[in-house]
Amino acid sequence: MRQLFLISLNYLVIGEVLYAAEAGMPQLDPTYWASQGFWLIIVFSILYIIISKLFIPRIKNNLEVRENKIKNDLEDAKNLKELAEKKEIEYKEVIQKAKKDVAKIFIDSKKKLDKDLRVKKDLIEKEINKEFKKTEKEINELKKNSISSINSISEKIVSKIIEDISGDKLNESSIKAVISDISKKNLDKYL
Amino acid sequence: MHQFNVHRIGPEVKIAGIDLSFTNSSLFMIISAVTICLFLFLATKEKKLIPGKLQLTGELFYDFIAKMISDTAGSKAKPYFPFIFSLFMFVLLCNMVGMLPYAFTVTSHIIVTLILALFIFIAVTFIGFLKHGFKYLKIFVPSGVPVLLLPLITIIEIISYLSRPVSLSVRLFANMMAGHTMLKVFGGFVISLGLLGGWLPLTFSVALTGLEILVAFLQAYVFAILTCIYLNDALNLHH
Repeated sequence: MRQLFLISLNYLVIGEVLYAAEAGMPQLDPTYWASQGFWLIIVFSILYIIISKLFIPRIKNNLEVRENKIKNDLEDAKNLKELAEKKEIEYKEVIQKAKKDVAKIFIDSKKKLDKDLRVKKDLIEKEINKEFKKTEKEINELKKNSISSINSISEKIVSKIIEDISGDKLNESSIKAVISDISKKNLDKYL
Repeated sequence: MHQFNVHRIGPEVKIAGIDLSFTNSSLFMIISAVTICLFLFLATKEKKLIPGKLQLTGELFYDFIAKMISDTAGSKAKPYFPFIFSLFMFVLLCNMVGMLPYAFTVTSHIIVTLILALFIFIAVTFIGFLKHGFKYLKIFVPSGVPVLLLPLITIIEIISYLSRPVSLSVRLFANMMAGHTMLKVFGGFVISLGLLGGWLPLTFSVALTGLEILVAFLQAYVFAILTCIYLNDALNLHH
């Protein structure tokens, strides 16, 4: 009874499948199931071996090479940037130093020039003073000389005038005394 | 449904009574695999620092899968990268090659997707037990669930775990089959409505072709990402 049931169940299932296959579902036709499985396993295994042994290492290698190259390039760029920054700082330092030097040189030369100027000025002033004193002395001498000569001239004139008027000769020493007296009184007015 | 028919090419090969003949399905699997290899070969032929178009596409695929794996399964899943990559490329190319007229869509057959899904399921379960031993069974017992609900939740978890290969395979197979069937139906309308009324279904057909290309990519992505998620469950026990 049970066997009969199983057989009929089997028949039903297979019949169903065959019917479905005939009706338009070749997928349910078991004729070539084994063949499809067999070829699938073979083809897929070969494909898997080729891909895993040949192509994936190739792609991976290439990607790694590129990644390394990018990494190296980035590192280089970073190093160069640091170098550039260092150089910039150095450059700034040099500029700063140069500016300081320039300021120092400027101040130094200014001081030197000032000193030179002062020295020369002093020298010239001294010379001027010397010349001035010399000239003053000369003038003073000339003054003195002129006074004495004026006195003697006026004495002569006076004695001549008196002689001409009175016909007498006056005492020279008295004339001299009068004239020196007058000249002493009036000399300040002219000199 | 002629487009889904599998027929033998060349002689009949029988090993131990099992028919292992070369079929159009096998042919298109090989075409897909060869296309992948050709593409990857051209993409990796020149190792330029600044990639060309093909090289860039290859590297995009690589980055795409690598990011998908690291996002869903973390760094522990790195050893499985070649498998996920091959799986994604194979499913994608099978779907895409199937979009060509008169081509056979390998992934529109439940047996193909089921074998892939079963392999993933068994491998993931194996990895889970290998990494965690019997603690891996904790995956069925989520923490923070009331004791009363625990037996029910555990049963649900076991059922959902066991239905993974089915859902994974049926999703891909059904999407592929439905899309191609729909294209064929609209194509049939174009013929039956003739020059007068055939333009409307033709427009739909063109639009659907675009949609199907999207679906082809999307299903390959979904297949791969679900594999990653299952792998994540096996590698990192969260429960």
